[in-house]
Formats: sequence, structure tokens, C-alpha cells
Amino acid sequence: MSVSRNNSKSIQPYPYKKQSWFSSFADSDNKVGWLFILPFLILWAWWFFYPFVQSFIRSFQDMNFAAMDEAKFIGLNNFIQILQDPEFFQAVLHSLQIVLIAVPTQTILGLLMALLVNQKIKGKGIFRTIFFIPYITSQIAVTTVFMMLFKQGTFLTNFFGIFGFGDVTWFADTSYALIFVAILFIFQQAGFSMIVYLAALQEVPKDLYEAAGIDGASKWDKFRYITVPFVKPISFFVISVSTILGFQIYDQIAAISRYGALGSPAGATSTVVTYFYQHGIRYMNIGYGSAAVLLFFFIILIITFLQKKLLDDKE
Amino acid sequence: MKARKHLALFANYAIIIVLGLLFILPFIYTIYTSLVSTRDVNKLVSITNWTFDNYIMYFTNDAYNVPRWFLNTTIMTGAVIVGNLIVNPLAAFALAKLNFKGKKIIYWIVLATMMVPYHMILIPVYVNMANLGWLNTFLALVIPFLYQSLYIFMLRQFFVTVPNEFMEAARIDGMSKIGLFWKIVYPLARSPLITMSILAFAGTWNSYLIPSTLTNTPKMYVLVVGLNSVKDAVFENTALIMAGVVLTTLPILIFFFLFQKQYIEGISSSGIKG
Repeated sequence: MSVSRNNSKSIQPYPYKKQSWFSSFADSDNKVGWLFILPFLILWAWWFFYPFVQSFIRSFQDMNFAAMDEAKFIGLNNFIQILQDPEFFQAVLHSLQIVLIAVPTQTILGLLMALLVNQKIKGKGIFRTIFFIPYITSQIAVTTVFMMLFKQGTFLTNFFGIFGFGDVTWFADTSYALIFVAILFIFQQAGFSMIVYLAALQEVPKDLYEAAGIDGASKWDKFRYITVPFVKPISFFVISVSTILGFQIYDQIAAISRYGALGSPAGATSTVVTYFYQHGIRYMNIGYGSAAVLLFFFIILIITFLQKKLLDDKE
Repeated sequence: MKARKHLALFANYAIIIVLGLLFILPFIYTIYTSLVSTRDVNKLVSITNWTFDNYIMYFTNDAYNVPRWFLNTTIMTGAVIVGNLIVNPLAAFALAKLNFKGKKIIYWIVLATMMVPYHMILIPVYVNMANLGWLNTFLALVIPFLYQSLYIFMLRQFFVTVPNEFMEAARIDGMSKIGLFWKIVYPLARSPLITMSILAFAGTWNSYLIPSTLTNTPKMYVLVVGLNSVKDAVFENTALIMAGVVLTTLPILIFFFLFQKQYIEGISSSGIKG
């Protein structure tokens, strides 16, 4: 390193020309650094930082899109109002329910699929692709397909009928709509978890299994004492990513709600996201919506923090 | 012992086949239904009764302007990827290899922005777009998304691994820092840039929240938003809707089969969809 640095001093760039304005500019770390950062920084300041600050300030304001000039500061009133709204608590509860149902299910399913396609069996490549296809398909398309499948008189609902399920339009049923959303999330997210787990499984040294086999370990023992410790760190990643995505679910609910208010039928699928969207964008109640977004962010932060503590302690 | 092994193998196949069917049957149902006439929906009919009428509808009926939506989606996705191919590597290279004042702050900004869900700023972005008169224009769908802090971080991690000897060698050749970036480092980053483009393609092509918020005239819909509007408008016409699902999903599936290897590698290394 030091040798080459000495060389660069003795061999001057552009020996025939005097240093031009451009070459002195283009040689300075400071100037080039800022030039390269500038496109990002402008876009970021304009379309991230500025709206972020606006969002924060407006959560303390009474502001409506129809009369932006009449905005006035009302302190914590938006937050107080939200926290007194039973619909908000229902929305938080629904978000938690979706996450509590979908995250463990999709994690276990993802691991199971990864274990299955990691074996020496025929057609494992095809199965891997099949499991992964829902993940790359748009949420709207998958939701649409499932809504069509769960209409009355389809192959699926006729099949369910054999087992005594009468009405299976789950997406329009207040007691099943939330589960319907959770299933959609599991169906799409499991393929992602499978890929992540698969990458982790391929890191496990093969001779570990062989050695355990010689020692007379059963298949379950091998799974319990070799596979599980190996995939444990990646599980934290899989769980935290799907938890955050679970809290952010929007597309599926928007598709199910059709022309109704977001969170239809009758608020059965309202979540923290649809709550702020409904108030902030559909009702154009910017201040109130911004306060709800801040609470949404706060909830995600708390959950992420708790999860990190909980899962780290287990290590 | 041998019998037990056979049984285990059989169980393995049984589980994987059942799971596989569970995952693939909805798609088979979709394709099949899109190819039959409305009165044959949910009946098994022979191939001679199949028809492309549902598909033709999307190209002849002005109410479902699929060619236009396809064009909109392509323009949006293309522009976003081109932007990301310029803005992200520039910033990432500066963060990895150039010592400029304030570098630490910028790095911190990139990391912090990565953690914040877009929902956080959606309302003010919508209001600002409306005030600029940008709603229902490509500006709204493209400009804020020309960079992505996650990809800047990913590319920075790559650029850090480029040996400093490259920089020294370039200096000896009398090359400027800018020339060094374009002529040497940028071509070196081919593979992470391809991964980034693939993730950005999938993420942008499938996005619904942002386009559905920033556009509300059918002429400016992207495919996914258009599909949702068709589904709501003709909810009882399953066959027509399913043809829409196929048309919307086909491009991304073709794309996936072309780049399957890089896409899966990208996901398992970065772990995040665009």
C-alpha cells in the first residue's frame, strides 16, 4: 500500500497538461463525494425527510385537506381522540390477531417446505418453484383468485360442502374475514421464509449428520440437535421480517373491501394501517390521520423491541 | 428397518405433494377458468369448448384498458429501475470509498430511512403531490422512488469489498475519481446491480398501495390497480376476472422464470423484497 502511494506521488496524473479545473475537482474526495451523494440527498430531503417532518408536525394539528390554511395546533388532542376511539382499539387488536396467527404459521410452514425440498427427492426443484410462486405474484392478484375460489358454487366451496360447510364466502363474513386475510398472508409469505431457511440449511455441514448417524442418532435427534441450532439465528430474521410485514398488510384488505369502507365487511378486517388510511386519505383528515400513523409506527417499534429482547434471551 | 425407511419416504412424498397441490391448484383453477365461457365456470368442459373471449375482451373493450395499463406499468417500473441504477450506486460508492465531510451523517440517514415503513409518510406525500398537481401523472409514480435506501446499503456493502488497489492503480493511470467510478467500479458491480434491478422490478411491478393512492383515473392505472377495479366492477363474472389475473401476473412470472437464479440468490442474501 505505502509503496503504491509513493509511486502515485512521483507519477503525476496528466503530465503534459496543467491541472485543469475539472481534474482538480474530480480528484478531491470531498467534492466528488458530495457530488455523488447529491442526487440521493435531494430526493431524500424532498420526498422523505420533508414529508416525515410534516407528518410529525401535523399530528399535533387540526388540519383538513379541504381547508389546509385553517390548520391550527391542538396539542395532543388528536392522540387523545384516537385513544378514545373504540374502532382504533379494534384495529390494533385485528393487527395483532393477524400477526399472531400468520407469523408462527408461515414460519413453521416455511421451515417445513425448506426441509422437504432440501432432501434428495425427485422433482424438488419443481416443488421449490411452486412454493415460491405466490410470493412473486401481486397480493391483489392472489386475493382476487381466493375471492373467486370462495364464492358460492365453486369447485372449492362444493368440496367444502361435503364436510358440512354451508356458506363459505369467508371474505364477506365478519367472523371469518380476518382469518381469510391471515391465510392470504401465510400463502404468500411462506415461500419467502422457505428460501431464507433453505439458504441456512445448505450451510449445515453434511458430515455432522453422518457422524450423528454413526452414533445412532434418530432422525428426530438430528433435527433437534443439529438442524434447529443451525437455523435458529435465521429464524429471528424470518420472524421479525414477517411480523413487520404483517403489521403493514394493506393490499389484501383493500381488495376484500371492494367499494365499501376499508376494513369491510363491517370493520371486521380493519387494521392500524386501514385506520390511518381511512381517516388521513379517504376522509382527508390529515392531522388525525398523521397522529394515527405515528401511533402505528410506535406500535411497530415496541413490538420489534420486545421481539428482539424475547428471542435474544432464549439464545 | 427397510420397510420403515420406505414408509418414511412415502410420507415425505405424500406431504410434499399435498402441499404442492395446495399451492398450485388456485393457479390452475385461475388459468382454467380464464379459458372457459361464463356459463361454463366451475364446470369441467372439454378443450373444444375453451375460448379466448375473456382475453379478447381486455383488448377490445375500452372499459378495461389493459394495453394502456400495461404501458403505464412498464413506464413506471422502467423509470424507477433506471433511476435506481444511477442514484443508488453513486451514493453507495461515495459512502464506501470516498472520504467526504459529513459521511457519517449520510450513512446514518441511509440506515434510519431503511427502518421506516413507507406508510409513515404516505399522507404528506399524497398531499404534496396534490398541491404540485402531480396526482395522476408519472411524476408521482416515479420521482420519489428513484432511490431506495435499502439498495444503497446493499451496494455499499459490495463496494467496501472492492480492493483499494484498484483506486491506487487508477490514480497512477491519471484517472479521476469520477472516471474511476464509471470506467472501473461500476462495471465491477454488475452482479449486485442486476440483483438490485430484479428486486426493484418485482417490488415496483406488484406495488398497489402507492399507485392506488396517487392515481384515480382509469387512464393512469397500473395493471394491479386496474385488475382490482375490474374485479370490483364485474365481481360476478369470474371468467373475465381470471383472465385479468393471468394478464397481470404473466409478465412477472415470465420475468421470474428468466431470472429465477439471481432473484432467489438476491433474496437469500438480502432477505428483502423490493
